[in-house]
Amino acid sequence: MNTAILPAQRKLIPDAVLGMLFLVSAEIMFFSGLISAYIINRSGVVDWPPLNQPRLPILMTGINTFVLALSGVFMALAVKKSAGAPRSAENWLKASALLGLTFLLVQGTEWSNMLAAGMHTNSSVFGAFFYTIIGAHGVHVVAGLLMLIYALIKNRMEPVGQNPNRLVAISVYWYFVVAVWPVLYVLVYFN
Amino acid sequence: METPHSTTHAPQGFWTKYLFSTDHKTIGIQYMITGLFMAAVGGFLAYVFRYNLAFPGESIPLFGQLDAMHYNAFVTNHGMIMVLFVGMPFLVSGLGNLLIPLMIGTDDMAFPTLNMMSFWIFLVSCLVMVAAFFVPGGAFGGGWTLYPPLSASGYVNRNPAFWSTFFSATPMFILGVALEFVSMLMGGINFLVTTINKRAEGMTPFKIPLIVWFLNIATLDFMVSVGPLVAGAVMLLLDNVVGTGFYDPARGGDPVLFQHLFWFFGHPEVYVLLLPALGVMGEIIPVFSRKPLFAYRTIIYLSLIAAVLSVVVWAHHQFIAGIDPRMATFFSIGTIIISIPFAGVFLSFMATLWGGSIRFTMPMIWALGFIGLFLIGGLTGLYLGSSTFDIYAHDTYFVVAHFHYTMFPVVFFGFFSAVYFWFPKFTGKHLNHTLGMIHFWLTFIPFNVTFFVLFFNGLAGQHRRVNEYSSFSNIMKEPYITFEKISTIGAIVLMVSQFIFLYNLFISLRKGRKAEKNPWDSNTLEWQADSPPVHGNFNPYPVVYHGPYEYSHPSSEQDFVPQDNPIVLKTN
Repeated sequence: MNTAILPAQRKLIPDAVLGMLFLVSAEIMFFSGLISAYIINRSGVVDWPPLNQPRLPILMTGINTFVLALSGVFMALAVKKSAGAPRSAENWLKASALLGLTFLLVQGTEWSNMLAAGMHTNSSVFGAFFYTIIGAHGVHVVAGLLMLIYALIKNRMEPVGQNPNRLVAISVYWYFVVAVWPVLYVLVYFN
Repeated sequence: METPHSTTHAPQGFWTKYLFSTDHKTIGIQYMITGLFMAAVGGFLAYVFRYNLAFPGESIPLFGQLDAMHYNAFVTNHGMIMVLFVGMPFLVSGLGNLLIPLMIGTDDMAFPTLNMMSFWIFLVSCLVMVAAFFVPGGAFGGGWTLYPPLSASGYVNRNPAFWSTFFSATPMFILGVALEFVSMLMGGINFLVTTINKRAEGMTPFKIPLIVWFLNIATLDFMVSVGPLVAGAVMLLLDNVVGTGFYDPARGGDPVLFQHLFWFFGHPEVYVLLLPALGVMGEIIPVFSRKPLFAYRTIIYLSLIAAVLSVVVWAHHQFIAGIDPRMATFFSIGTIIISIPFAGVFLSFMATLWGGSIRFTMPMIWALGFIGLFLIGGLTGLYLGSSTFDIYAHDTYFVVAHFHYTMFPVVFFGFFSAVYFWFPKFTGKHLNHTLGMIHFWLTFIPFNVTFFVLFFNGLAGQHRRVNEYSSFSNIMKEPYITFEKISTIGAIVLMVSQFIFLYNLFISLRKGRKAEKNPWDSNTLEWQADSPPVHGNFNPYPVVYHGPYEYSHPSSEQDFVPQDNPIVLKTN
């Protein structure tokens, strides 16, 4: 039976955070692929968006962008408070998740409006790119929200307070979800 | 995670020990065994279509008649299975899991549960690939590169009744590959975090063995390049399932776009497989030359340069896709430049051999075979890298011969070198030397017989992805008809002789000579653990004092100095 004790290692970045950073960098490349495909396709078309397709709701989505950004700020506050004041951190986390959910709901309402106005995935390449890029981001928001809920549940189960690395790792993912959105917003909505 | 912990909890039951294990050694072996099964599948597909090429229209033993649709499906799946479901589990997931924690002197991966999940997702992806043969309409047959519009239109092997579900050829093919990527991503994150955070005390970056470096560079290359392909595959899936028109020119889409996204991944993927194989050579050659690896740091710098270059040469696969000639020039030059760092790595291996006291053990023979064969593959790559020649040779058997001369040595010679080298470590038994030698010669010679003749057929203009050549008068004459038959007979001998390897594995596991801790007198840390290593690997955990290649050092009595040996080496 092996009874050796693994010596403690000095780590510049904790395991969980480092792993999440690598995941996020792969995700950035995924969105880069989508964005470059979109830009290349757009550059070859004269009328963009196509004339028979509805315009995108710039104002409403702009407000929604601020909602998501605020959610990122709340997440940063939760991480900051998690060391000293776990109760307060939990509240910030809840607020952050709530804003993320709001973002998702507003986007969903927009989608149903666009669909009603006659923009479908197969009505034009523009529609296809719109639903694919925005949908891909939406899936990432859902994944981020699930992580937030996981963090909240874990926090309940561990009364001593959040494992700081877990929360930081989740926050890295959430910052990515928040930060990639304005890029997509500008590229897709402003033509 | 940060606190020291004891590794006393070795799993006891059969299920937790051999199936749902989180031990990196078990997972590595699981990957390799799954890879062997997939190699059998991919090999059988190759046997069937090679037989059809040599003896068109005849009934194939063990299979029967092969029609054109199935021919396409078999060629397509042979390609994808051999690259992603054999090469990746052998060289990246398999070797990475087995070696990284041991060679950097730690107990396990950074995220053992994630590691176990990555294997099970990989297994599911393999099952999806195999299951695709049995859905209505058969497996996907649009070429392993999935080029639209063929793959996007639903034209290929799709049963109309199933068109809107996932259970048809193209979606299942994409799903299988996507799951493999998820698995690789999880494994890759594990490799990188483990190597960065869990190294033994004293294991500074330039004391890390070459293969660990190369596995990590390969993983980084994979993670940088896979995102755009996933994006492209999502769009292809939507074209198939939802009916979008991303790749449909009639609806404003662009089929060449997919080629760019595919090869942005597809080209670095070559180096994702090549680098671990080169890493295996970097471990084996110094041990059996009893000399330090020549220019260890330079090799690492060169491979970093190659990894960066590898993501900007992809369009050399598309010289005839109608890309701008100015762009073709850029990609031609990039492709030829990328051979410089790899030439440097190869010359370093040659220089390591130079003047060494070479021991012709089984792993060394395989390593030397790898170098000889890969050289032919690499040199023909230089011709193809130039767009002027490529436009003539594109999609001919010259290309097929070229990439089999690169991929076969990488995947199989790399794998066999590694197995013959590390088998004593992970099983505690030696492999049979005579059987190993027979296996080598019955792989090396038939391989050359199979693929060397294809260079000539390719230069004569034989186009790939054609199941029957009776209307091609330039091919339907001697010697090309005979060359087809020679190639097929070589391939059959090559496949049958692999049973020698399997027999050797079984007989050696049962009756093999017992292996001591360090049978090859090697320096790296895995040889300082027990054979086979216990759960937790080391007792006590090692402290590293030396680089991995201190062989025949003048101030040491032994001709090797294990990395955890505290003696002081005088440099003069």
